[in-house]
Amino acid sequence: MSNNIPSELKYTKDHEWAKVEGDTVTIGITDFAQSALGDIVFVELPEVGKTLNSHQTFGVVESIKSVSDLFSPLAGTVLATNSEVVNAPELCNAEPYGNAWLIKIKLSNPTEVNSLLSASDYQNFLSTL
Amino acid sequence: MTILKTSLHEAHLALNAKMAPFAGYDMPLQYTSVKDEVMAVREHAGVFDVSHMGEFFVIGPDAIAFVDHIVTNDFKNAEMLKAVYSPLCRENGTVIDDLIAYKLGSDRVLICVNASNIAKDWEWISSQVGSFDCQLSNLSDDFSLLAIQGPKAELILRDFGIKFPTEFPYYSILETTHEGEKIIVARTGYTGEDGFEVFSSHHYAKHLWDKLIFNGVKPCGLAARDVLRVEVCYPLYGHEINDTVTPLDAGLGWTVKMAKADFIGKSALEAYKPKYQLVKLSLERGIPREGYEVLNAEGQRIGTVTSGTMSVVTGKGVALALIEKAKAPADKKYLINIRNTNYEANFHSKAFVNGGHK
Repeated sequence: MSNNIPSELKYTKDHEWAKVEGDTVTIGITDFAQSALGDIVFVELPEVGKTLNSHQTFGVVESIKSVSDLFSPLAGTVLATNSEVVNAPELCNAEPYGNAWLIKIKLSNPTEVNSLLSASDYQNFLSTL
Repeated sequence: MTILKTSLHEAHLALNAKMAPFAGYDMPLQYTSVKDEVMAVREHAGVFDVSHMGEFFVIGPDAIAFVDHIVTNDFKNAEMLKAVYSPLCRENGTVIDDLIAYKLGSDRVLICVNASNIAKDWEWISSQVGSFDCQLSNLSDDFSLLAIQGPKAELILRDFGIKFPTEFPYYSILETTHEGEKIIVARTGYTGEDGFEVFSSHHYAKHLWDKLIFNGVKPCGLAARDVLRVEVCYPLYGHEINDTVTPLDAGLGWTVKMAKADFIGKSALEAYKPKYQLVKLSLERGIPREGYEVLNAEGQRIGTVTSGTMSVVTGKGVALALIEKAKAPADKKYLINIRNTNYEANFHSKAFVNGGHK
């Protein structure tokens, strides 16, 4: 199973990654997640401007045979969504950390980023699965 | 309950298949990619291990008459060495299972049933023998079953030296010997493509599997199998048909032959006014899934999606749905509710994909 974990990103136990830049965070799904899901064929994302609580469902990714909710790792307001990945969901399989980012949010509480896992924490978490 | 394994379990693990429990067996869901596996079957050839399915033999002078009595389709008048698809119904017309019966001889019939229903079917069928002069045996554990499906399947099996007649149309069957092993070859399948199912010993199946994989036939899992059957709109027990509906509720009227002298469920089915109707729907965007609500244009709930997937061939979400017949909209306008939003669905009078079977 493919399992690339870039060290500069933060992670969640829901297999999402977060790129923190000040009070803006870009969110996507991890290499482990895309590999476990298989061929991703549908992505649904929220409207720009939507307010999300942490752990709130913000969208779905669907493989041919499964539907998985996406959970916002942090509370914030949706600044942008990636229309490219909505039009070409297979990007999630090909470039989970690159062109397949899903949403950017503006944090309501920037200190919440301390709750995220580091790359090594996420690696350790995967080894327990 | 211990999890069962087919004779090819190790071969699946060696191919790094994603495994999952199905009907009590640890079965391969997918090997590489569901998309690739579906397209291999549509364009070339793929092989499925379906050894979890059940095999019953009916032997004796009344074998054909008995099978004809328990199924709704016409088995008696089928030619020798032909297979017949049929529901198996109770007296009240509800569906116990669907099966394929293979007419091997005037006194020998093979019945192949769904893995999840082996125990239920065995109990039912063996309780119906009565005065019919035939013996039943459940040889499900003794047989492996490989489905070799796709337009290149015939060429590949002929290349292997499996001898079947030049004229061997869809639903033909043959008992033959190959490399010293007795096998049953049927031109049947569940993909809509041309293809074969080979019933054999476990030993032979392992050998045939390895040879097929070595010759570039793609190993395909149950996920691809489900997409393939939904694309061509074949029903699956537990989805479109179940213990509470009759064949007439699920678009299987063509398998109920009222002209037959008698069969179990005939009088109930003759009097029955179907409650449900099976419809084929697709979406321009989004993927319908089992359990999603189906509504009419006015937004009233009229039914439920029984099978849904992304079609690999059409690239659209496709669904089979059971709707209440009395509420079937004359304008053929349907909505499917996905996560609290209603999406307009396209109504299809034909299957989403035309399989290439002969």
